[in-house]
Amino acid sequence: MASMCEATTRVLPGAAVIELSGEVDGSAADVLTDAYQTAVGTHADLSTVVLDFAAVDYINSTGIALIVSVLARARAERRKVVASGLSPHYREIFDITRLSDFIELFPDLDRAVSQLTGPAA
Amino acid sequence: MTQVARPAPRRLDAFTLPSETGNERLALARVAGTVQGLGLSEARLERLKTAVAEATMNAIEHGNGNRPEIPVEVEVTQNGDEIIVAISDQGGETHAGDGDGDHEEPDLVRKLDGEQSPRGWGLFLIRNMVDAMDITINGQRHTIWLTMRTGGAAHG
Repeated sequence: MASMCEATTRVLPGAAVIELSGEVDGSAADVLTDAYQTAVGTHADLSTVVLDFAAVDYINSTGIALIVSVLARARAERRKVVASGLSPHYREIFDITRLSDFIELFPDLDRAVSQLTGPAA
Repeated sequence: MTQVARPAPRRLDAFTLPSETGNERLALARVAGTVQGLGLSEARLERLKTAVAEATMNAIEHGNGNRPEIPVEVEVTQNGDEIIVAISDQGGETHAGDGDGDHEEPDLVRKLDGEQSPRGWGLFLIRNMVDAMDITINGQRHTIWLTMRTGGAAHG
């Protein structure tokens, strides 16, 4: 099945941002894995990966499983994962699944980035 | 003693879907349209939508084995202040139920440690999204019943 998920990756000082859009379900596996690999592949020293969900309109249980897999890999590589832009409903799901115990949640990407990279000079 | 008559259950919608991956989105959208205006808050409607999508996905994959010729049946009923969505497949007693056939309660720590599959969130999500979840099996017919109270504040 063609994926309805897209990912754009950019690297900031110390952090990589993966901006997701569309649907995070089982079909998004390659998109998410490739985006993570692109983000960290050439920047092994990155300490943090930001997953931005502002343009995501659907996450299902297999999408949650993909996020768990990304988190597991990041933890094994001693990287922190944070998330931004989740709707109130999906924030609740992150709470229920306890993902929010391991992934710090920010209301939006700007606040996540400013927190991670410090105040602008 | 005065008896107050309780309204008879009212069927709001009934439809079938081919058992094809992705059709859970159709079920979600149609049920959301059906129950719109019945008094569910936006947050509780979102919960019901997630539960319907997960239950339909389970019916497609684990009940009907992704065989499009076997339909998933969806019925929406209102009974007093309860909205009840029944989702049926032909999985019977052998219904795998949730991702990877994993019936363990999902435990994120164990998943992160590789002791549990990353999958297996479907039934867990459903249970936490609705006011009540029941499963009935009648021969091959496997039905999951999702109940949401319109005036309820059970989950905020």
